[in-house]
Amino acid sequence: MAEIKDNVTRRQLLRTGCYGGCLAGLGGLAGLLAAKSRAGDTVWQIDPYICIACGNCETHCVLEESAVKCVQVYEICGYCDYCPGFHQPGAVALDTGAENELCPTGAIKRKFVEDPYFQYDIDESLCVACGKCVKGCAAFGNGSLFLQVRHDRCLNCNECSIAAACPSGAFKRVPADKPYLLKRVENA
Amino acid sequence: MNRLPAAANVKILLGALIVLATLVAAVSVMKLDSFGNRGNSIGRKFTDEITELARIDPNLILYEESSIRISTGFEQSQAIAADSEGRIYVVGDNALRVFTPSGEPISRISLSQTVLCVEPGNDGRIYVGTRDHVEVFDTQGQRIAAWQSLGDNAFVTAVAVSGDDVFVADAGNRIVVRYDLSGKIANRIGEKDLERNVPGFVVPSPYFDLAVSKDGLLRVANPGRLRVEAYTLDGDFEFSWGKSSVAVEGFCGCCNPANIAMLPSGGFVTSEKGLARVKLYDSQGTFVGVVAGPDQLLEGAAPYVAVLPEQHRVGGFDVAVDPEGRVLVLDRAKNAVRFYTRKKAE
Repeated sequence: MAEIKDNVTRRQLLRTGCYGGCLAGLGGLAGLLAAKSRAGDTVWQIDPYICIACGNCETHCVLEESAVKCVQVYEICGYCDYCPGFHQPGAVALDTGAENELCPTGAIKRKFVEDPYFQYDIDESLCVACGKCVKGCAAFGNGSLFLQVRHDRCLNCNECSIAAACPSGAFKRVPADKPYLLKRVENA
Repeated sequence: MNRLPAAANVKILLGALIVLATLVAAVSVMKLDSFGNRGNSIGRKFTDEITELARIDPNLILYEESSIRISTGFEQSQAIAADSEGRIYVVGDNALRVFTPSGEPISRISLSQTVLCVEPGNDGRIYVGTRDHVEVFDTQGQRIAAWQSLGDNAFVTAVAVSGDDVFVADAGNRIVVRYDLSGKIANRIGEKDLERNVPGFVVPSPYFDLAVSKDGLLRVANPGRLRVEAYTLDGDFEFSWGKSSVAVEGFCGCCNPANIAMLPSGGFVTSEKGLARVKLYDSQGTFVGVVAGPDQLLEGAAPYVAVLPEQHRVGGFDVAVDPEGRVLVLDRAKNAVRFYTRKKAE
């Protein structure tokens, strides 16, 4: 019977096992980083042509103040004196009186341009993403106001709680290099 | 007096804490709104008010829909007109279709581009408005003329023919252009001129309609000012009627009326977008009644707030009136012509 010369000592076994473990760990780490990098390629965004402005963006974001804000596309806006995104339906006067404004936080600022045109700007620090202005503008105006996830605020959660509560499926993953879905004049 | 041992006190305290925590957890789970059914906490005031606006007193509805309905055959119907013999002209996609007063198809004329408006002339010619110019066709579908472009900003939304004049509403340049029958520009109407007391047209969206009245004045819908304005053919502003109001008598939203048509009696039919309503005014602009409200135009669908692009098209239906006084409504959502006749007095 042949004598086995290449006996493996306990020390060698431990050393080899240690190397193997380190390699497996490095491989796992690389895989994890690669997976994380892939997830980072997309971000959450609202498709304005599917959004129904239900109000869930205001209440379902994990942030204290929602990452969703109203945006204004000036190219589509009609600069109307009576702005259905700014004024209550049946407003007693077309001015900036709180009783005439639709926005519960006064986040839309009305500025006179020239007779009879007014410019409407969003103060994002006040906007709570309730979507009331979006509904008004879409119903009676040109639909220039709509909601978007602001990526300076969004945590890009893997399972976005607004997306889970979105009744119309408007919340979707989009490429991170094109993170906004804006309305265009030709589609307005 | 017997006192409980310290260990028993701790057990009771722990038990009470566990019961309390279980109760708090149960209440929290019950109050959880995982599906967002409760929506935001601000309330539904806006939606409720919209629904309220859509309700119209049945006594104000003076017309009823007849059983005739024409399918236009277009994917995107754009505009409708009727001539003095009751023939119906509908444009959409890249074509013009002509129907008999009873809805039988007469002809189809293919067009090289999308047309947004149509008007039959008294001389047998048909005038169609493309984005930036007017084209003239004969009844056989042969193009007789293509008039000069009104420029890069032009957006032609309406054409009206009266005698030897053709009036073209250009929403892009916010002006009405008066042509002769050969396509030569006679004058421009409605440019803002405070010295002439001309207020200027405000056209926030591509709805800008006009009609020539029997009194010889041109009526132009000034949608941004929510009224109809009367001009002489030379462009002098005479008077206006209409007011901004959510009530049925007024024009609702940012920019209405979207379309107008003249009745044989001299009254007006108006069509509104947003809250889809077709209404009736007399020759002085006094509200008379309703031809069809959201309940009639949306056919039983609950009035809703238009958010999606296809819902936007529900408003802004074009209207025409035929020699019999029937109101023709071009239903752009269903691509159909619907006929409304005055109810018989009970």
